[in-house]
Amino acid sequence: MAITKRVEKIRDNYVNTKPHISYERAWSWTKSFQRTEGQPHLIRTAQAFYDTCCELSVNIWEGELVVGTSGEFRKCAILTPEFGWLWINDEIDTFPERGQDPYDVTPEQTEFIRKNIFPYWEGKSVEEAFLARTSEATKKIGVDTGFLDTDSKWRNGIGEISADYVDVLLPKGYGGIRTEAEAYMAELDEAIPQEKAKIDFYRSMVLIADGMITLGRRYSKKAAEMAEAETDPVRKKELEEIADVCSRIPEQPPKTFREAIQFVWFVQLGGIIAENPLAWNPGRFDQYMYPYYKADEEEGVIDYDTALELVECLWLKYSEWAWTISKNTASFFAGYTNFENLTIGGTKVDGTDATNTISYMAIQATKECMTHQPTLSCRIHPDCPPEFMEAVTELVSTGCGFPAIHGDRTGYQMLSNLGYRPEDARDWNNCGCVVPHSRKTFEWTSAASISFAAALEFALNQGRSRLSGEQVSLEEKDPKTFESMDEIIEAWKKQFRYLVRHGVISLVTAQEIHKEIGHRPFMSACNEYCMKNGRDLVDGGAKYNIGPVFTGVGLSVTANSLAVIRKLVFEEGVTTMAEIIDAIDNNWEGYEQLRELALACPKYGNDDDYVDSIARDLADFFYEEVTKYDDLYGNHFVTAFMGISNYLPTGKVLGATPEGRHAKDPINEGVSPYTGSDKSTCLAALRSAAKMNHDIHSGGTLLNLRLNHDLVATKRGRANLGAMLQSYFALGGFHVQFNTISNEVLADAQANPDKYRSLLVRVAGYSAQFTNLSREMQDSIMARNAHEAF
Amino acid sequence: MQIQPFSVNDGEGIRTNIFMAGCPLRCRWCSNPEGFEQKELVGWYKRRCIGCGACASVCPQGIGIGMEERSRCIACGRCVKACPEEARARMVTIMDADDVIREVMKHRLFYSYSRGGVTFSGGEATSQPEFLDYVSRELYDSGLSIDLESCGYFDFDLVRPSLERMDLIFMDLKHMDPEEHRKYTGVSNERILENIEHLGSLMRKPEVVIRIPVIGGVNNSEENIAASAAYVHDVLPEAKMELLPYHSLGIIKYEAIGKPFDQNEFYTLDREEMKKLRGIAAAHGPKIADYR
Repeated sequence: MAITKRVEKIRDNYVNTKPHISYERAWSWTKSFQRTEGQPHLIRTAQAFYDTCCELSVNIWEGELVVGTSGEFRKCAILTPEFGWLWINDEIDTFPERGQDPYDVTPEQTEFIRKNIFPYWEGKSVEEAFLARTSEATKKIGVDTGFLDTDSKWRNGIGEISADYVDVLLPKGYGGIRTEAEAYMAELDEAIPQEKAKIDFYRSMVLIADGMITLGRRYSKKAAEMAEAETDPVRKKELEEIADVCSRIPEQPPKTFREAIQFVWFVQLGGIIAENPLAWNPGRFDQYMYPYYKADEEEGVIDYDTALELVECLWLKYSEWAWTISKNTASFFAGYTNFENLTIGGTKVDGTDATNTISYMAIQATKECMTHQPTLSCRIHPDCPPEFMEAVTELVSTGCGFPAIHGDRTGYQMLSNLGYRPEDARDWNNCGCVVPHSRKTFEWTSAASISFAAALEFALNQGRSRLSGEQVSLEEKDPKTFESMDEIIEAWKKQFRYLVRHGVISLVTAQEIHKEIGHRPFMSACNEYCMKNGRDLVDGGAKYNIGPVFTGVGLSVTANSLAVIRKLVFEEGVTTMAEIIDAIDNNWEGYEQLRELALACPKYGNDDDYVDSIARDLADFFYEEVTKYDDLYGNHFVTAFMGISNYLPTGKVLGATPEGRHAKDPINEGVSPYTGSDKSTCLAALRSAAKMNHDIHSGGTLLNLRLNHDLVATKRGRANLGAMLQSYFALGGFHVQFNTISNEVLADAQANPDKYRSLLVRVAGYSAQFTNLSREMQDSIMARNAHEAF
Repeated sequence: MQIQPFSVNDGEGIRTNIFMAGCPLRCRWCSNPEGFEQKELVGWYKRRCIGCGACASVCPQGIGIGMEERSRCIACGRCVKACPEEARARMVTIMDADDVIREVMKHRLFYSYSRGGVTFSGGEATSQPEFLDYVSRELYDSGLSIDLESCGYFDFDLVRPSLERMDLIFMDLKHMDPEEHRKYTGVSNERILENIEHLGSLMRKPEVVIRIPVIGGVNNSEENIAASAAYVHDVLPEAKMELLPYHSLGIIKYEAIGKPFDQNEFYTLDREEMKKLRGIAAAHGPKIADYR
């Protein structure tokens, strides 16, 4: 079926308009906080949510079947000054013009925000608390440096939650959640201090439920009013249906597919209003939606095409909301990407195949809408039906970068290693880009970005930044005097330990602050065990409390660099440490021949153990070092190689590196080979990546590869791609994602952006509209090596 | 010889091609001219060369950047290592059979998931019968799928044991007319026609695909295609046929090894013309195979 006229129209608007900043939510939140001074912070947060639900403007846009928007604009970006406003104040004037992820905002809006909203939050935001509590030493290495970054945990809302649709939301509705909270409350005694805290928690649950119920009713009323005034009989009927659906949803559990879709969107909207969250995951959509579809279909109240149109309307809602982020953060997470990760496929808890009609419908919706959200992920198990594999690889062949493809068993193993019970580990869904996750979990899944290559720079430059010359890390001996490989690796470890240590300090500080002023009643209401335990997520209410995740970046650059030193200096003796240091100090200028020798050394990504074993040792050390530390809740920290688009900003702050990279050039993401250096074959690149011990990095591992489009142009070619995927997973790999658009197409898109507004490409762990990426990001995607068939 | 992992158009699934050097034919359109002789060969890709002279400076034989003195080359490979742009490349190398086996076995998981395996190709795979016998036996015993691509010009009884291990045999039939065949390939087609017939005597009954590389100006007449298909169907009714359009990608290799090549001598048939010829072949009995 071709996309319907309705969906096409909504999509055109999505493709052609810039997101607009709305301060409605921030203004309601601020006014509410002004009224609740002195109350417990948890209650204040829940009250602010409720008040916002009562005040937010209610808009139903042209043609919509699924309704609910976070402000007065269709493509809306909202503000959460309670987390951080300093950066917004600094940057808001440049929002419309900035290179990466611009937003529209009028001077009148800016003036209003500066006059009425920011002054209240002065001295009260999470960001300010963090900066006040953080030492100069930590700031020097870990605040806005690109060596170590944790700011997504103290400048923005947290997100990183998978809503529990199965055990909480769909079966209970917000009416049920309210009733349950009241029942718990009735059993508690305010005179007992521990119970008093629980009473506050349940009060917050009631406020959240009331807020959601109010929001639904306001939409119902609005739809009824619009239906009244509507002259087109077709649209009038649609509006009447919306009014009817929203009169029950999300208060009552949905009874039909249509109601369930609206319910899912209201929950998503609630999370957006609450936190403006990153990685707020719909989870295993095909699993919880299928029963509604099946029942409706059997009763004859819905057919496939009608359901598909609703799913496509939902996809556009996911995409119309834009995450508001700083310029710095946008360079890490380019393309307005908010990581609403939606998972399909895999196995059920009983181990049988989980694919169903909705799995295929989700793939079709992504293919037809070509929206950058949801972040579509699929789980592939060893006995994956060939039809599902064909649907997945066929979507890959469109070049949109979706879906992210994951090995079922490795995901299971990653969670098992964190102590999950088998039934929960089997039910894993994806969070953000490539994090195996669960709806029973509280975890900061993208907490710190830590640069392997920065540690190498410090080891080879006496603890100083090569670009600025500033002493930012531990002192080290003159690199020209290193006498063995072991000595250099020890120096790298010393610097890396220092980075890890400051990451831990930063994150524990951030956790303390969130425990004080980062309560999350909305997200807690989506979590089964918070309700059972009577505790907010920040108080450890979830079933699984997992330590914050460190994401390693620059693995292949660092391994390649060490391989060059080992080979050229200590094995072949064709150069000296002194010459290599001089060469990178001079950004290879005047050392072109040495650079050629360095480039000719073994590179990670070609199935060459000489360098792959170095990469694995570094990755294993990362795991050992990070997991030594416990967080505020007594859980050990976790490692990942998930990447995002952090290979650009983390490369920009580094000088040249011994493997031949020039200063400021990008490094690499995840376990991906360095751009252009995986020259052998796709199989060799997969084999190199699979040598990393994926299962111990429970925060997820990411591999991006370019494939020549011809290879997947035929069904047979796609079957071979499926076989490659299964092989990679059998070798222990976790995730792989492909870009299959030719560079000719991308070059044309650079030259003629208007022709290619809807062109989606894989960035890293997610897809974004190509024309929404900065020029340097576009260039770096084009430079990724394309693997061709011979 | 050369090893090419990740080949997907020569048989089922993901395969590794083993190109074995040495060929009794000299097809004038050949796209792998480096495989004519059984000797190590270093080539020079002019288009990649930046003229830095690193190759010349390490050459023990005093060969310059452009390899005009290539007759002196001993294929020591020093220039290949020295070249920063990969403009110098080994085109043919000597490899130990056990190393070859180790190399192709690396990818066994990819073969099993894709129903792929190993394809012996060339040059001419049958030109090294002992090597073929040893490697094909080892791979056969490992349970791998093994295919063979051949020009068809070989001593059947000498390679019969190897042929018996194959799951799929591709054999070329370049022209039905013996004189035309000799004119363009250097040998007559009689032996090839016989060998096609002999394939029917193999005990394991491998799948057989008779290939016609359709070279514009050589063998693309409807009469030739019809006669070829009729012959194949007559002597080997189970055999499929595959018609591959000529491609001129080999030009770069001719440049690299310093052999002249007249690219205007042959032309590529378009999609419609190919379709028509496939229809003619099918009309004479054989099923048409397609591995794209």
